[in-house]
Amino acid sequence: MSRIIVMTSGKGGVGKTTCTANLGMALAKAGQRVAVVDADFGLRNLDLLLGLENRIVYTALDVLAGECRLDQALVKDKRQPNLALLPAAQNRSKESIKPEQMKRLIKALTKVYNFILIDSPAGIEMGFRNSIAAAREAIIVTTPEISAVRDADRVIGLLEANDIKAVRLVINRLRPAMVAAEQMMSVKDVQGILSIPLLGVIPDDEQVIVSTNKGEPLVLEEKLSKAGIAFTNVSQRLQGEKVPLMDLSIPQDSFFTRLKRLFGM
Amino acid sequence: MVQDFPSSNGSSEDAPAPDGLDFNNFILEIEPEPASAEAEPVKTKPESNPNLQVQFKSEGGRLLLILPPAPEKSRNPVYWDELRRQLKERISGGERFLQPHTPVHLIARDRLLDSQQVQQIDALLSDAQLPLKRIYASRRQTAVAAATAGYSVEQQTTLSHLGQGQEASRQAMDEPLYLQTTLRSGVEVRHRGTVIVLGDVNPGSSIVAEGDIFIWGHLRGVVHAGAGGNAQCRIMALHMQPTQLRIADKVARSPDDPPMQYQPEVAYIGPDGIRIALAAEFALADLTTQESP
Repeated sequence: MSRIIVMTSGKGGVGKTTCTANLGMALAKAGQRVAVVDADFGLRNLDLLLGLENRIVYTALDVLAGECRLDQALVKDKRQPNLALLPAAQNRSKESIKPEQMKRLIKALTKVYNFILIDSPAGIEMGFRNSIAAAREAIIVTTPEISAVRDADRVIGLLEANDIKAVRLVINRLRPAMVAAEQMMSVKDVQGILSIPLLGVIPDDEQVIVSTNKGEPLVLEEKLSKAGIAFTNVSQRLQGEKVPLMDLSIPQDSFFTRLKRLFGM
Repeated sequence: MVQDFPSSNGSSEDAPAPDGLDFNNFILEIEPEPASAEAEPVKTKPESNPNLQVQFKSEGGRLLLILPPAPEKSRNPVYWDELRRQLKERISGGERFLQPHTPVHLIARDRLLDSQQVQQIDALLSDAQLPLKRIYASRRQTAVAAATAGYSVEQQTTLSHLGQGQEASRQAMDEPLYLQTTLRSGVEVRHRGTVIVLGDVNPGSSIVAEGDIFIWGHLRGVVHAGAGGNAQCRIMALHMQPTQLRIADKVARSPDDPPMQYQPEVAYIGPDGIRIALAAEFALADLTTQESP
């Protein structure tokens, strides 16, 4: 049975699309057949992060309008053929697609792909409702900021109301040094408020900006950066690899010490 | 100098195979839309041309403002907000050529407009000093709304000589669309003819033209010339750095390593797909002899 996972956050700019691109790529690297679906109609970005913008010929809307088949709209990644992107239309608004239509698209994708990651837009309006319509699981992406956590909490409630019970948390852009100095919420603080299982913690990493601009997800690098390792770990946990709970803190700890060394502490 | 442009024919890369399970070669289709309770009795014939947007046409000393057809009948629906945006864009993009005080006749076709929307259109026109003189509508509701708002209205069931005449003469293209503007991400310009942009075409925006496309500026978005299938169409830009080029049924994307500097270039369909040549060296005569079958 394919797993249909929506990546959502409520607040914008916390790294939903970055997480989707990297998780999708990491899962594909591990041999899974992955479809990433851009549900951010009108403000699509996922194609940019994957470096696939100039290969888009058809979008999800063309499929729905009957102008092409679904497989024609899927953009296969040249570097990682297990990964395909279903692009959103850029010239339309979120209202141009209905939850029922999203369901039909995703249902067809499940015939071929084991993992379907849906990149939700920010907010809790139509675009969000579309992106969760077909999902069976959710990954909440948040940053250790009070505003992001507040919005994430609201979204978790909305997901539960829509019968999406398997909700897990990725904390993005954590800066261990700041946490140590008690200037940033810790993983524990965030989890204390949201009280959902933790899937991983991604450290703040300048390489993310570089990879975004290059259109090359971090997990493709030869020598993985800190965030790249963290994303790979998240993808392994997502595949149910029995990484003991202890492990959850290991990447974080090692960044911690490395960062400390970096700052000469 | 002629540059090679990696070209592919859109969907040809994932050509259909009968077996849906072959991961490298599969067909995937979505289920048909479930019949809704208020299903339209007869599926209205889809608009012969999905590329209709708000359009100005000059005719016998007056300006016809032709609205796209009603969204519920169109494969490429233009809803009110989009219509308003298009109208604004057309007015500001072609301002220098819209002679002030030219009477405007609004051809609403089968669109539903309420009196407020008619007034908004009038206000946008007034900003360009264009008086709205008359409204032609085929829907009674629109005609009534316009009349209530105090406009001179003509209700017609068929717009034989106005607006819809263009569908009869499907061969003839519309006059070129001139836009002095920057096309930003999310904007899509569709036109049944040649499009000329004095400004930049940013990534995320697109132009679909049935004729040629001229960009006097940076071309960074997606442009489709000869969208009706005319392979003779060309795309010219001062700074050719597109996300994607399409001419008729051919698609090309920009090379992965962009050139160091840009010069005006022309894209056309050569013997092996879309090719790009420096504008200065692009000889029309050469091309026509090359292309004659």
